[in-house]
Amino acid sequence: MSVRGKVAIIGVGLIPFGELFHKGLESMIQEAFMSCVKSVDKGFDPKDIKAAWFGQWSGGGMIGQGSREGTTLGTVLGLRGIPISRLENGCPTGNDVFRNAVLGVASGAYDVVLALGAEKMRDKPGVESLVAAGGGAGGGILGLHPSWMMGMGGPVLQALYATRQMHELGCTMEDFARVAVKNHHNGVACPYAEYRFEVTVERVLSSPVVCWPLHLLDCCPQTDGAACAIVCRADLAKKYTDKPVYVLGSATGVDYKDMWDKENFIEMPATKFAAKMAMDMAGIKPEDVDLAEVHDCFTNTELLNIEDIGFCKKGEAHKLLKEGYWNREDGHKPINPSGGLKAHGHPIAATGLGQICENFWQLREQIEPVRQVKLKKGIALSHNVGGNGFGVSSVNIIGREP
Amino acid sequence: MTMWERERMQSPRPASPLFWRLNPTVYHLLGSKCSDCGHITYPQTKICHKCGSFNQKDHQLPKTGKVHTFCINWTPPPGLEPPTVNVIVDLDGGGRYVGLITEVANPEEVKIGTKVEMVLRRLLNDSGLDFYGYKFRLVEEA
Ligand SMILES: [Zn+2]
Repeated sequence: MSVRGKVAIIGVGLIPFGELFHKGLESMIQEAFMSCVKSVDKGFDPKDIKAAWFGQWSGGGMIGQGSREGTTLGTVLGLRGIPISRLENGCPTGNDVFRNAVLGVASGAYDVVLALGAEKMRDKPGVESLVAAGGGAGGGILGLHPSWMMGMGGPVLQALYATRQMHELGCTMEDFARVAVKNHHNGVACPYAEYRFEVTVERVLSSPVVCWPLHLLDCCPQTDGAACAIVCRADLAKKYTDKPVYVLGSATGVDYKDMWDKENFIEMPATKFAAKMAMDMAGIKPEDVDLAEVHDCFTNTELLNIEDIGFCKKGEAHKLLKEGYWNREDGHKPINPSGGLKAHGHPIAATGLGQICENFWQLREQIEPVRQVKLKKGIALSHNVGGNGFGVSSVNIIGREP
Repeated sequence: MTMWERERMQSPRPASPLFWRLNPTVYHLLGSKCSDCGHITYPQTKICHKCGSFNQKDHQLPKTGKVHTFCINWTPPPGLEPPTVNVIVDLDGGGRYVGLITEVANPEEVKIGTKVEMVLRRLLNDSGLDFYGYKFRLVEEA
């Protein structure tokens, strides 16, 4: 099913990401939702929402939040009675929640729906949360492969790619560091980013080695956050705003879930699948995209993603980065003009929806002038990739014209 | 400690059914080879991960191979001494295995292409039970 022309975004809401010990999951959800409702230009009555999708990756026992069904949204937003599902799909949860909401409207089932993602990542220290998730003693013994218990957390998974990128594609640790330099520079002006400071290549390379070849400043932080968007039937959008942003393409792709099945470690086929499906749906080519928020959980990952989405050939992303091609101010195709995960942090289910907020504001040109990207075709792309073996990816493409 | 781990520590039951079930996987290195496309899947599978074929034959992984990629982890989870060297190994004759390097004095001895062999080692202790499995040791070049 193509979604192009059928669905529009009429409002978005985002809270500044950070180590938010003073905010519970419920209060983050409420803040993001209230700012979303207030953002709708001609006013919005939450009673118009006929269905909702709630993204939360860390439900269950993992980070001790407890399992959060759709009831969480229904209760804290006063939306009882409508269908609400909770969705977890790895790091792309946010972009995939949005996709499900879009399909809810495009199918004709609902006129107006909510997509919301929220995550409390910081109440537990990382070593007890993400590391355990990726393969502490518990994570491993629950899995199928006897090696999963051997400490295969996020940095290990990505470092195994990074080593191979250096070997096959000629990337260096300096190239990885340049991604951090670009994204932290972009994040300085973004009021929603957790870490708003500049870094240099030297500073990245002198930060502690987390997992060779990746340094501390090659890794994005774990962060608390919430983000949401309200989408509706495209032909109803003007009732809510004169400047809706339209959904052009929306897709999720999956590859092998485990590292040992992968054919190589210089590409992530999940991203290729999702990007191709979303672009085919939108009827566009990579060169039609003005700006993109691309998953930069680690610096090397952004380089892989840029290539896998199709913005350049395999092995070219780091060379173009050095030339400034992906820069926000003087580049040709700004990548992560918001500062990305590097500057914002990565509250898993909120991350992708936060990207969509950024793209919505960029396309409506309602962003701080220093951050505004020069628009050509008025098309923006958001992307996540993740899961155990980086085998799941979601891509959403939105534009000023339907 | 995760909630899951805490619950397990309070429970007197070790995870022995899982150890028992994983026996052919962990100790006999049993995987599957697809009769249609040749893809080697490990652990055993009834359906090929690559092509979806139902025609799978048992395939025992060899214990030798070469490092395909690696990293040196200074922040492993509790129970592992940093640094660990995590590797993905191209096994001789096909198939891959993910694991840890053992008995290496200097992690920098490990490179892409380094020859390795599996050796049985204690991997962890689960609720009082030692859990053994394979790690990789560097093969001395003649
Ligand atoms: Zn097959």
